[in-house]
Amino acid sequence: MLSSIVHFSPEERLGDRWRRHADASPQAVAVTHWVAGSEPMRWTWGDLLRGADNVAGWLTAQGVRPGQVCAIILRHHPWFYPVYLGISLSGALPAVLAYPNARTHPDKFRQGLEGMARRSGLDWVLSERELEPIVRDLVLSRGSTIQGLLFPLEIDVATQTRSYPHLSPMAPAESPCLLQHSSGTTGLQKAVVLSHRAVLGHIDRYQRAIGLTADDKIVSWLPLYHDMGLIAAFHLALACGIPLIQLDPFEWVQAPVLFLEAAAHEGATLAWLPNFAYHLMAERIHEDDLEGLRFDRMRMLINCSEPVRAEAHEKFLRRFGSYGFRAETLAACYAMAETTFAVTQTTPCRPAPQLTVDRAELARGYVRPIQPGPQSRVCVSSGVPIADCAVRVVNDVGEDLPDDQVGELIIRSASMFDGYRNYPEKTAEVLKDGWYHSGDYGFRHCGEYYVIGRKKDLIIVAGKNIYPEDIEDAANGVPGVIPGRVVAFGVDDPELGTQQVAVVLESEHYGKPEAAEVRQGVVMMGMDIGITISEVYIVPPRWLIKSSAGKPSRRANRERVLNELKSQE
Amino acid sequence: MISDRLKKVILRELHQDDFPLTDQTLASEVPGWDSLNHVRILAAIEKEFAIRFKTLEVLRLKNVGELQALVDKKTAPR
Repeated sequence: MLSSIVHFSPEERLGDRWRRHADASPQAVAVTHWVAGSEPMRWTWGDLLRGADNVAGWLTAQGVRPGQVCAIILRHHPWFYPVYLGISLSGALPAVLAYPNARTHPDKFRQGLEGMARRSGLDWVLSERELEPIVRDLVLSRGSTIQGLLFPLEIDVATQTRSYPHLSPMAPAESPCLLQHSSGTTGLQKAVVLSHRAVLGHIDRYQRAIGLTADDKIVSWLPLYHDMGLIAAFHLALACGIPLIQLDPFEWVQAPVLFLEAAAHEGATLAWLPNFAYHLMAERIHEDDLEGLRFDRMRMLINCSEPVRAEAHEKFLRRFGSYGFRAETLAACYAMAETTFAVTQTTPCRPAPQLTVDRAELARGYVRPIQPGPQSRVCVSSGVPIADCAVRVVNDVGEDLPDDQVGELIIRSASMFDGYRNYPEKTAEVLKDGWYHSGDYGFRHCGEYYVIGRKKDLIIVAGKNIYPEDIEDAANGVPGVIPGRVVAFGVDDPELGTQQVAVVLESEHYGKPEAAEVRQGVVMMGMDIGITISEVYIVPPRWLIKSSAGKPSRRANRERVLNELKSQE
Repeated sequence: MISDRLKKVILRELHQDDFPLTDQTLASEVPGWDSLNHVRILAAIEKEFAIRFKTLEVLRLKNVGELQALVDKKTAPR
């Protein structure tokens, strides 16, 4: 057991920190790799660093050089951890990418990866042999930035003892240490590169906001290509030397009880979850699955990455309150990859504050507390800014708004990114005079920040960001769809506390039997790009409302669909 | 062979009028059958047939045929 949480030194690199833990407590468990139905595999700090050194040596021998970006496309695997750490120790930058799900068309996956490789500047792809046929062409294609495809699961990570060429000395703390992407869809990924100092500094500030102690244990099923899984769960645990229990996201979503089993068996104290997870667990987990499980040690379940809804917390507490979860366990956080992770955090040992307001007034931009009733909406606080982070609420022309007025949240943070990699025009859109314009709408009340929606048309499904443009562009190619006359938008899914994707499109086949094929074509197109389209509305030509720029307006058409078409179902 | 009753539950959850489901059909081949809808489908099947799936049973399912076999096993008279 490590005696205390380590302190931040601005000259330190991730590797220095990990080695410090390995030297101090080689037998302490760093990561527990959890797999349903089998004994978990436990990486001690000593073994993890030995494995990582082996991987680093192997990578260097393969030609990987410091500063290069190594994309990792692996399923849940016990060797993921030494591979990730090994990339870092070699001086290269790990970038975890989503493993393609079975629905994604191989060509679409390759195209997405190609775009990402060019845009994000990926140098190597570390993957599994099974993906070789898909990825190989990418490496060989003309103009590809990718130098090679490597299969790290085929080396003996744990026991490799052959000597490798001398590793390059590690770069200073201000040099980049990892690359993370700010959104989930393939074509429009924006890469954020972070330095050792930015990551360790952010973790130091954030661990104070959540009152981390050496007795904490993190349990996570979150994918590591997402900032919440990567920074909050994975890097925080490793940097602070507290144990991480990592589950497989694919297994968890099929059997949500796995999270509670792992949390109870391992005595976990901290976890981060998107809003839909509270609903999913409350609805899918049966009473007899919970037999013998207690969660009294769990001190914070932090709701993050989707707008926090009071209903999710209530439902969760009603379902699991008698097993040791308390109101003060249910915390919230507002975070984004552009600020490394956290912007605000609720106070530990206190329930996330809630505010019941007049819904109609809120839609007009004003916060007026009222008694609960049919006109009310309950807003949940995402907390107060963490250290060295400031949040302002501004109107459309950038003027500060007082408390209790709704505006866009803009952020200044010591953990701010320098800009999207190779994407200066996107950076200029969001980063102005050192303030990051989040595109999120919210308000401040008694010093606490409440995030209530999006200014941009982003759709968030189960914590994954989906840009409507991606869907609209792809739908334009579906036979029967009038090009440019498609709108995609999100519809609230109250049952699971998240959103679903809907598409409305103009077609000459409206009202004819061929419309069924158009509908099917759009759903299949969604499958190809890994997006589930729940509703397809086919309308006649010239039905869609155009904006002043002459393009169909997402907001206006969403309203029209919900009022005129959905109500008729 | 996939029973009409099972097929009906699956397609209802996916908002599909019709889709050919065989023993070999994979979830990934059926429009809309993603991980979140998978959860809805399993919940709907449990309700329809008044049965309960165990964690490992759910994780071992490879195709619709195996799902049918599991439902048959659980609904068989003892």
